[in-house]
Amino acid sequence: MTNKLDLLDIQGNVLRAYGRFGYPVARYVFLNVRNSAEGRKFVGAISQRVTTAVEWGNGPNQKEQPPWAVNIAFTYQGLKDLGVPRASLVGFSPEFASGMKERRDILGDNGSSSPENWDPIWQGNRETREQDVHIFISLDGLSGRGAEWLSVAEKNREEAYQWLLGEVDKTKGGVVILPGHIGDNGAKLDYQDVRVVLDKEGRPTPKEHFGYTDGISDPVFEGVPYDTNRVKGRGKQLVGGKWGPLATGEFLLGHVDEAMEYPHAPEPVLLARNGTYMVYRKLHENVGSFERYLEEQGSKFPGGKELLAAKFVGRWRDTGVPLVKAPDAESNAKFAAQIEAYNQAISEARKKGDEDAVKANEQAIDDILSDFTYENDMSGGKCPFSSHIRRINPRGSLEMIHEDGDAPGSLKLSKGAFNTPSALSDRRRLLRRGLPYGEVKDRSRDDGSHGIVIMMLNADINRQFEFVQQQWINYGNDFKAGNDKEIILGNHSADEKFPSKAVIQVDPNSDEAPFLLSNIPRFVETRGGEYFFIPSITALNWIARGVVDPT
Amino acid sequence: MASNISGNAYALTVLSPIKEGFTSDEKSYADTVRDRLQGWNFEENSPMALVPQTYLCRYFVLDDVYTESQPGAGAIDTFVDWLPVVPDKLRHCYWPNQDHLKSRYLVFSCNFHGGPKGDLDGYLINMWNAIGDRIKEVWGYCYGFDGVDNADKFIAYIKKCQREATLFFVGSNDDPLEEQLKALYLKQEFSKFAVANQGLDAATVRANFKEFIQSVAPTNLTAPTWVPGGYRVDKLVKRG
Repeated sequence: MTNKLDLLDIQGNVLRAYGRFGYPVARYVFLNVRNSAEGRKFVGAISQRVTTAVEWGNGPNQKEQPPWAVNIAFTYQGLKDLGVPRASLVGFSPEFASGMKERRDILGDNGSSSPENWDPIWQGNRETREQDVHIFISLDGLSGRGAEWLSVAEKNREEAYQWLLGEVDKTKGGVVILPGHIGDNGAKLDYQDVRVVLDKEGRPTPKEHFGYTDGISDPVFEGVPYDTNRVKGRGKQLVGGKWGPLATGEFLLGHVDEAMEYPHAPEPVLLARNGTYMVYRKLHENVGSFERYLEEQGSKFPGGKELLAAKFVGRWRDTGVPLVKAPDAESNAKFAAQIEAYNQAISEARKKGDEDAVKANEQAIDDILSDFTYENDMSGGKCPFSSHIRRINPRGSLEMIHEDGDAPGSLKLSKGAFNTPSALSDRRRLLRRGLPYGEVKDRSRDDGSHGIVIMMLNADINRQFEFVQQQWINYGNDFKAGNDKEIILGNHSADEKFPSKAVIQVDPNSDEAPFLLSNIPRFVETRGGEYFFIPSITALNWIARGVVDPT
Repeated sequence: MASNISGNAYALTVLSPIKEGFTSDEKSYADTVRDRLQGWNFEENSPMALVPQTYLCRYFVLDDVYTESQPGAGAIDTFVDWLPVVPDKLRHCYWPNQDHLKSRYLVFSCNFHGGPKGDLDGYLINMWNAIGDRIKEVWGYCYGFDGVDNADKFIAYIKKCQREATLFFVGSNDDPLEEQLKALYLKQEFSKFAVANQGLDAATVRANFKEFIQSVAPTNLTAPTWVPGGYRVDKLVKRG
């Protein structure tokens, strides 16, 4: 029997990437609790407005979509200062208790990504009691229709922020907003704003600042009613080209995970159940370095600049089509035409009010972007081993072997060694939330305030996020790529003695030579972050009332 | 002990009992040995890096064995539990005694290139000649080590303490160490060469390759190559 989730008990941001549901802007606010009792009262007031994962619509058991979504999460220090008892606190994971700053060696946050270079709020966190980040609150604004889509969304977000300020005021200094998010021109702000990237006409796009489409392959797991059609390419890869949803316990505590076990969680059960851990990271994008490097290497790369850009990530920048489906510009153009036709059909169906046709065409586009495996590209000739999507979500590509008699440099799928093709990836998946921040005013420069705020949700920070960060982003051994790092996110070294390189593989049966990327600069730098716990609505009420009881 | 040999690799495991007793500053001999081994970490490199053909080795002091726990609930235990007529006292009689070691041990575990016949004597002679003083430093407090003052006695002593070993270090093939180090050096240098020559015309690449081969001297195993036991990137390469 499938797992039916209690949507009313789960916070909305756990099951929904709000950006995809019509919320193009958000504001993230971080607070410090100065007085426990006032803090709990404050949490109680926020919890009244917290957005759950309930289905939106006009049907039975559905609720109208709210103009702004509110969600809340806590650091270890925050839970402690709100009075969660020690016997419960010790049940949280050690890395959550330590916090992101202390885990910097594992995460590779060195050099320009090291905590000395983080935003002041993140530098101050875990230094003194008054600077500790205790509470995270996200406010997402719903888009308007037509030309006013953005102004309405911003108005909604502002309304939410004014409401939050009112609640903070009521605590009479018991809870304070922590300042120190760096904005434009070094401004220190009380919040972190994020917004979708706009195109030249000011319309919303699903892109980040390097020009790639972001967040296509967010994992799909069992029990989420609005993701049932999205399982292909997002769930786990099964035998015979089939896909299934991942086990709920990979992303929600108190549910069985891929090992058929309950993930490690604090006591009592209801404190943890339907909650999860969230990794918040502010990542600056060095747009100038990226453009220069792409230009310089693209002029030498046999396939040209755009194909090289696609090789960095594994998807074409214009269409988002994966390289394993469209290994060259010609096939990408064919997919572009198909997608264009589907989009045409969608707008015509919208005019007619034919919702079924809209859905069918959206599904067709989604299949192009998401439904693929690496079985026809085990040697990386299409999608390189160090490209972003292959490293972050390797699907079935890790079960690769080379046997005597195979062409040099070729790899193939090992059959029979594991129960399913993606068995080595299924326990390393991450739900990705968040949006880009800032605007790129000069594409030739690295400085300025622009990047991505990413929030990664998982049941086990160490097994999922930290493993992917350490082993798959900053190291390449699992991909038979030595110590090559993931091209976009890797903490490439600025030290000339240890230049970072990566290999763009070719078809081992062809006469082409692999292309070597050398002296890769650091394209993405960490500007701060922390580990949070997102409680269920039940647990949130307990925290607010101070009645968490592990005995 | 044929199981000690896999191809050209030899797995040596030695357990040497450490004497009971303590030094003048009230430190047990076993703790003294552990301290001295720990001290090796603070040296420029491990003394074992000087011992030819060492693939990988490890020293530690074994204080005691771990007891697995009480016996689990097998079918018979469960059956006995159901019988209220079996008094607790009787049941406790059948609980196994815990095992303990009679002394603390210095454990030395090592994989080296021993050739198809597993030349343990040759390895130990080289070890004695290379780091004899350091051997005395760690084995000096072990039973039966008194009077070991030359390679032959060291070989005899080690063989007395040797246990069967069946597990091998998989991070190494079984070529001689200098072959492996040279291969790793060549691999690293060749990737640099490939990066530096990418996109150049064939004649230039050919000329550069000639120069490259001369500089890396593939058949010369002594230099340039990687130093054994090197783990500092800036001190890894030994030039001729």
